[in-house]
Amino acid sequence: MLEFKYSNVEREMEVYGFDYVVKSHCRMCHGGCGVFVYVKDEKIAKIAGDPDCPINHGTLCSKGLASTQLVYHPDRLTYPVKRIGHKGSGKWERISWDEAIDTIAERIIDYKDKYGAESIVFGYGTGRENEAVIYRIANLLGSPNVLTAGHFCYGPRISSSIITMGTNPIIEYEGFPKCIMMWGNNVTISNPDCYKGEPFSVALDAGAKLIVVDPRFTKPAARADIWLQLRPGTDPALAYGILNVIVNEGLYDKDFVENHVYGWEPFVKRVNEYPLEKVEEITWVPKEKIRAAARLFATTKPAAIQWGVAIEQQINCVDNDRLLMFIMGLTGNIDAEGGQVLYKTPPIVNVGQFGAHAMLPREQAQKRLGGERFRLSSRFAIITPKAVWDAILEEKPYPVKMLFFISSNPVMTRANAKEVYRALEKVEFMAVSDFFITPTAELADIVLPAATWLEMDYIGDFWKRHGYILPRRKVVQIGECLSDHEMLNRLGKKIGQEQFWWDTFEGGLDFILQPMGIKWNDFKQMDYIRGHVKHLKYKKYGFSTPTRKFELYSTILEKMGYDPLPKHREVPESPISAPELYKEYPYILITGARQPGFFHSENRQLPWLRGLHKDPIVQIHPDTAASEGIKEGDWVVIESPRGKVRQRAQFFAGMDKRIVSAQHAWWFPEKKEPGHGWAESNINILTDNAYEGCDPTFGATNIRTLLCKIYPEKREATHE
Amino acid sequence: MNKYTLKVDENSCWGCKSCEVACKQEHNTPNNVRFIYVTEDGPRYVNGKLDFTYRVNMCKHCDDPPCAHACPAEAIKKRDDGIVILNEDDCNGCGSCIDACPYNAISFDEEKGVARKCNLCYFRIDNGLYPACADNICLAHCIYFGETDTIDQMIKEKPWLKSRIEQARMERIRQTREED
Repeated sequence: MLEFKYSNVEREMEVYGFDYVVKSHCRMCHGGCGVFVYVKDEKIAKIAGDPDCPINHGTLCSKGLASTQLVYHPDRLTYPVKRIGHKGSGKWERISWDEAIDTIAERIIDYKDKYGAESIVFGYGTGRENEAVIYRIANLLGSPNVLTAGHFCYGPRISSSIITMGTNPIIEYEGFPKCIMMWGNNVTISNPDCYKGEPFSVALDAGAKLIVVDPRFTKPAARADIWLQLRPGTDPALAYGILNVIVNEGLYDKDFVENHVYGWEPFVKRVNEYPLEKVEEITWVPKEKIRAAARLFATTKPAAIQWGVAIEQQINCVDNDRLLMFIMGLTGNIDAEGGQVLYKTPPIVNVGQFGAHAMLPREQAQKRLGGERFRLSSRFAIITPKAVWDAILEEKPYPVKMLFFISSNPVMTRANAKEVYRALEKVEFMAVSDFFITPTAELADIVLPAATWLEMDYIGDFWKRHGYILPRRKVVQIGECLSDHEMLNRLGKKIGQEQFWWDTFEGGLDFILQPMGIKWNDFKQMDYIRGHVKHLKYKKYGFSTPTRKFELYSTILEKMGYDPLPKHREVPESPISAPELYKEYPYILITGARQPGFFHSENRQLPWLRGLHKDPIVQIHPDTAASEGIKEGDWVVIESPRGKVRQRAQFFAGMDKRIVSAQHAWWFPEKKEPGHGWAESNINILTDNAYEGCDPTFGATNIRTLLCKIYPEKREATHE
Repeated sequence: MNKYTLKVDENSCWGCKSCEVACKQEHNTPNNVRFIYVTEDGPRYVNGKLDFTYRVNMCKHCDDPPCAHACPAEAIKKRDDGIVILNEDDCNGCGSCIDACPYNAISFDEEKGVARKCNLCYFRIDNGLYPACADNICLAHCIYFGETDTIDQMIKEKPWLKSRIEQARMERIRQTREED
């Protein structure tokens, strides 16, 4: 018979007559998967996974497979444009790259001169491997204000792990953990930084026990040994319940506690403020289940916690992260083989060094927006978005005059979308770099055509903490599109930063690799490089914290004037914290459960991916639907004190009847009017960004859990 | 008996739908034409316990295909190796096969005016390539393709898992040598 072989590159080339194949590194999410890109007649003809890549082992998600539809999409912006009508008029005129860069440079120089560099805010959305160049240009300019998703996504994991143990612990799936606790995450369809679903799936098939913490009965919950169905937003109480069992039943790693932690006594005192009866009352999770989960996790070695962003987009953001780290640490799984390893990157100029944070003058850093209130995030150069909107709308504490958003669509993805929209309407000058003219870009003065991952050379994953770097190799050139790195390289040279940039950005890649004594041209011949892997390093060197210990009691938070130990806070709008409001808005709304194919506001114009999900979907329990007169497939109105939007009802019996679960970041590229339906189904019309509701140390906006009402759209029509 | 079988271990499916898009990439079918598709079965109570399974549907390449019997244009034929092929060039668009299929595995392509279904990527199989959906794209490794008489054994034994565990063991040995 014929010999079948997976990912048979030679046979594919032969059978389909491809001209050549390029080995590269996908970035349809945060990046990560090794791919083969087949080319025929100078066009990308097929994308497949690279079986030798240690990240994805040949598998590839729907987004990666559909990249070709992004590259060749007819609506793509392929040259720079400037707006010629009023904001939101949708009237654009083609300009040259020189005119675009010169205009932006002139504005930057002018605003810096008149209002200070802090009046210019650079921004990106989630991590798209452009963060290093964006921070570099801002820091060199003297602006302390870079607005990212970092206030409630990954930034908290990095910052809180640095203050607790020196760096971010990453699950060593190739060491086959025997027990996995998946907390507020579904890595099989989402993209939590540093992780892909495949190694998780393999570890499970190899026999790992599974505990799932989720208000919804996801597929992982269906495969779990224990499912902890918590009330949304009560993660810290549940974590304390688990820690209470681990501490009081003596299930912790004795050597770790005796020799490597700081603050054991005050920590135990705090733990005892959360007896299981109280935790059950707060979380709705029966105490027997909490006890069983704690015992299973603590007594099965190695064990690991698969986390993600859901626990961070809450008022309890940093404390959630730290409490889960405490569970990892006290069970002896930190830096253990098959547990959660503190990996080292190869010796390169790392993302912080490349970002030139050391070049930002101290007096400028002190002006960071919101920095007085959110001192931990400010230390890590991260700001909460509302501080920027306030500086534009109210010019407090000083005016922000210019925004430059790169791969970001804040109108769709930041809390309190109506306020975001007002701020973008008012700001004096805004530049945007993106693939399409998005609802955010519609409010810009200049829009720059961004290259996709298939149109750039880059050192993939160099900002992540799993220790790998992988070459992303340019395959095609589309129109006049430029990578974010290349366009900022050009801009930097026009605003007085000549000595810090290069002829082309290949010089920047050489600079990153310099400590290893290689250049981009050498690296691009390689498959990947991984930092040296070593376990239990703390036994010899301690942890990289002020006390050299794993800090349960944070000396850094104490110094900053915060509670050094985590605690449970009720989310601002819950049946408990807002009983009066709960009478009018009688459901707990959770937002942002991930859909395969979409990446936040992206990909709704790619037919293969939109074909997977036509409409925005809100999940509702069938009994709740019956009592509200909602039928499956109905368009319904979801309403909070901030506003209302429409989504389509889908029955979902796998959650508490008091919960409603809505999708996020929906806009409609097929609607050709300039707003593209940005306010129609955008769940962030409903979310709030008030400072009091944000994480007190980090400014994370509480977008995942709030109160709402829900009713059929038809009923609204008859009322009107 | 069919020589080859494509079978999905549905208990392992995570619902990521990569198979659907891998199929689109191979055949570039319009939106409503899906040769393979994933649906949700649940969450619902089974014997008092919540359960949730993704179902993955496609042409079963039946032993005695009702679609072939129903087709007045003789556009659907079963090959000697068992693959049931719907030849779009011969299809008159009457839709009889769509009604006859007990598995909802045939779609109507409005653009071309013909019925279409999974032909098991016979062009690839004949050239020694795995069908597009089964070519190691699935993160759950739950799409199996092979000779019919060994397919259930493969699902049970998960040969890919054994090689992954072995690979990890070798990598660990290499790291240990590096450490020393």
